[in-house]
Order: sequence, then structure tokens, then C-alpha cells
Amino acid sequence: MIQFKNRKLFNSVVTNGLLILICFVMIYPPLYALMTSFKPLGDVITAPPTFFPSTWTLEGYETVFNSDMFRVYLPNTAFNAFLSALVAMPFAALAGYSFSRYKFRGSKALQLAILGLMMIPGITNLLAIYRIGSQLRLLNTNLIIIAWYAAGGVPYTIWIIKAFFDAIPHEMEEAALMDGCSPLMSLWYIVIPLAMPGLFASFLMNFIGFWNEFLAAVVLLSSNEARTATVGLYDFQSQYEIAYNVLTAACIMIMLPVLIIFIIGRKTFFQAMLEGALKG
Amino acid sequence: MATLNPPAAGKRHSFWKTAWEKSFAYQLLFPALLLLVMVQVYPTLYSINLSLNQVKGGQFTWVGFNNYDRLFSSSDFIDSLQKTATYAGSYLVLVVILAMCVALLLNQRARLTPVYVTILFVPWVLSEVVTGTMWRWLFQQDYGIVQVALNPLINNTSLLSNDVGAMVIVVAAAVWRSLPFTSLLFLGALQTVSTEIKEAGALDGASAWQSFWRLTIPIISPTLLVVILMTSIGGINALGLILATTAGGPGTATTTASVLLYREAWKYGDFGAAATLAVFLFFINMALTLVYFRVVKVEA
Repeated sequence: MIQFKNRKLFNSVVTNGLLILICFVMIYPPLYALMTSFKPLGDVITAPPTFFPSTWTLEGYETVFNSDMFRVYLPNTAFNAFLSALVAMPFAALAGYSFSRYKFRGSKALQLAILGLMMIPGITNLLAIYRIGSQLRLLNTNLIIIAWYAAGGVPYTIWIIKAFFDAIPHEMEEAALMDGCSPLMSLWYIVIPLAMPGLFASFLMNFIGFWNEFLAAVVLLSSNEARTATVGLYDFQSQYEIAYNVLTAACIMIMLPVLIIFIIGRKTFFQAMLEGALKG
Repeated sequence: MATLNPPAAGKRHSFWKTAWEKSFAYQLLFPALLLLVMVQVYPTLYSINLSLNQVKGGQFTWVGFNNYDRLFSSSDFIDSLQKTATYAGSYLVLVVILAMCVALLLNQRARLTPVYVTILFVPWVLSEVVTGTMWRWLFQQDYGIVQVALNPLINNTSLLSNDVGAMVIVVAAAVWRSLPFTSLLFLGALQTVSTEIKEAGALDGASAWQSFWRLTIPIISPTLLVVILMTSIGGINALGLILATTAGGPGTATTTASVLLYREAWKYGDFGAAATLAVFLFFINMALTLVYFRVVKVEA
């Protein structure tokens, strides 16, 4: 019996030891970036490098705060990400409701087709969107990037929302329909309030995705006024080539908002991600 | 799937009104489909058309499959395909194996401590550019902390400016970033394997290793296949992270097909060639997607 106990203890120690090691690998790059962001310039061009700053300073952050990153790019990012995530919701909610509650010809085929759209490489379509946008003079506008993000987010969001709608029992809606409530009213007053946690989670997941998005932003938004934070950071790489205290300070400022959102919404995220990814 | 009963049709409902009500499910889909057709389907067709034309100053001249001949005979393209295979292949193998290990470890614990899960998931919320910047910093020639730590083992080779080293760094960064999500998918699947089955296996004298291969893997194989396909697609299309980490360099050491496409279009302005590559990638993705659909159908 004692041996059994020891074996269990041994297993637990090994499991936890390995998990701690993995956590260390996962957290090390951002943690080191955080340390670097508090270093003076002298520290980042000293060989060999040290983990902790020799003196703690906000130099890096000051440079970022006084650059367009803080004045232009981050506000642009927040605006685009918020609006795109918001725009995607009604499109996805209506479609998700249709797939969840109605049996109609082509339902399965359309669901597969929408899933298939998610597999089109983004760059294939970006190439066309870039050319169409430049002909219509829509490059460097919020409109084009919001349309691109919203359309990109809609398929995945439909899947997640449908899964959440499926989990809501039909009795209340049927009663409401009997009482003369229109289907849209029952969607708005009954289904949406009940599915709120799921809807909110998919909104936030889209927001995080759009906040972090880089490729479409670098292609479609090239003017300084329209640039977003990730593109700004990409340009910073050439501008502050070796001043990694500035670059990592910018990294921290870009990751902080989404990290906070993630930590707060963690539980619903995991549920939503599993629903969306596996219930195909 | 249960269906809502539409309200009983009134007596005076005209044919049109009934037809309108019957098509309600389609009406709900209409806005989303319109948006997707405009922003996703039409551009794909546009790209296909672009690949069959020569573009000069906005003027399209039909050249048929000329662009494709040009592409398939270019050494840059063949080279980029090799890079794509190396990148996507190693990315796939590493992500699947490592994520499975992480999921198995997490599954060992009766209760998941939020601290573990939160820390594990940090890479998932980071932008490709942020990831790229951080990883570059770790591998700077004299000042990068990981580069300096590795120096005695690798004869002071600067990994970022070495062909193989750069590829290793890009793949490592990509695996690092994808590990959390894939582990979560595997963990979700592992938790559906009931303890009864495992106990029955143990009673029959199966070792942990046997029980993993003979019992667990078959049960979670639908998830496993979905993950393998999604990860392959992700690897083939990877672009942002490579641009941010090595920009395809040094030379063309990390120039995958997607990076080549980006260069052709936005560095050299050759949209015909870029579109040809884009369509080529599109068909590879569609082929994998068809496989995916078969898998999903099996599951359903």
C-alpha cells in the first residue's frame, strides 16, 4: 500500500515538474520582453545580456508614448477591432439562428460551404481585395479593413453561435410563437439573452483576433494615419533596429489589453473554442 | 436537429405571404451570405481571373495558362515549395506531438489549476508580430539571451543569419504559439475517454503505452485528424509570423510559397505571378479541405 502511495506521489511530482517546465517555456519570451522593456538602452546593447535590468527605467515606454504608436496606431487598432467584432455579430447571429432552428433544403451544404470559406488562404483573397480596394480608392480606410475582418470572422462565429443556440431548449420560443411573437422577436427577446455568455465570448475572441491581426493591416493600411499597432511594430523593427527596450515596450503595450481580456473571460473562451472547433 | 413549428398560417394568407414565411430560414442567412460572397467568394474568383491575365498598369490581357508555365518553371518557386514543405512538415509534426504530450500531462491532473492554464495560454493571445519581435530579440547576435546561452553548443553561429538556424527559429516560434490551442483541443478529446474503458484495459493487463495506442488513440482519432488537417493548412499558409521573425531571410532561407507571393505582389508589383501562386495555394488548401469534410462527415 505504501508503495502504491509512493508511486502516485512520484507520478504527481513528474507530471507537475514537466508542466512547470512547459509553463516556463511558454511564459519565458513574454516575461523576458517585460524585463527588457524596463531596461535602459545601455542594457540591451551589453554583451552578455542579463535577465533583469541593471536599473529599472521607463525610457522605452516614454519613447513609445511619444511616438505615433500610442497616439495613432493603438487607437486605430482599438477602433477597427471593436467595430469589426461588433459588425460581425448580427450577421453571424442571424445565420446561426437559421442553422440552429430551421430545417431547410441545403442547410448542411451551406454549413459546409461556410466552413470551406474558412480554409481559403487569406493571402489569396487579400491580393484581390487590395486591387479592388485600390480601384475603388478604399485602401487606407476603416471601411475596407472592417469589411475584411467582419467577413473573416463571420464563418467561425456562426459555428460557435450555432452551438450555443443548439444548447438552448426550444419550449420557450414555441410558447412565444404560439402567443403571436414573430421568430425575430423570439430570437431577440428569448434566445439572445439566454445565449449571452456565448455571444459575448465570441465577440471578445473576434476582438482579440482582429486586435492582433497583421497581414491584412499591412497590406490594406499603408498610410501613417490608418496604420494599426501590429503594422507599427513591424515598422519599428527597422526604425529602432537594436533598441529592443523600445520594441519590447511596444510589444507589452500591444499585448496587455488582450491579455487582460483573456484572463477575465478565460472560462467562456475555452468553452466557445471547443464548441467552434470540434462540433463541425 | 429539432425544428420550430411556424405559427399556424392564417386563413387569408396569400400565396406570396406563405412563400415569404417559408423562406424565412434563407432570409436569416441572406446578410451573412451576401457579406461572404462579396468579401470572400468574389475575391477568390478575381484572383483566379488575375492569374490568367497579364496585368500592366491596370490593363488585363488574357494570357491563359502562361503565368502558370512561368511559375512552375521558375527556380524561386521550386525553392519556395521546398521551404514550405520543410516549414509546414516540421511544424505539423512538432505541434501534434508536443500538444499531445501537454494534453496528456494536463489530463493526469484531477483538477486543472487556473494558474497552469492561464500561463500556458499566454502565447495564444499574442500577435504574430509581437511573437516575431520577441523571438528575434531572444536570438540577436551578441545581445540575444538564448543565442548567447546556446553559443558554446553551436560554435557561436548566429542562428538568425544562418539558413538552418533561421528556419529552426521560425518553426519554434510558430510551434510555441500554436501549442496552447492544439493542447486544449486534445485535452477536450482526452476527457471524453471514460475511466471505465481505461480501467478495463488495465485489468486486461494493458500497459499505459498499449492503452494509449490501442484505446485512447482510436477514440480520439476524429479530433486527431481534424487537428492534423488544420495544422497542415495553418503551416502551408503561414505568412505573418515568418515576415515578422525573419522576413523570409536570410536570403531566401525562410521564403515559403506564401512569403514569395507577398514579395512578388507587394515588393515587385507582379500581381499576375502573385495571383498564380495564390491560386496554386488555394487549390492545395481546397484539396486538404475536401479531406477534412470527409473526416467531419465520418464524425457526424
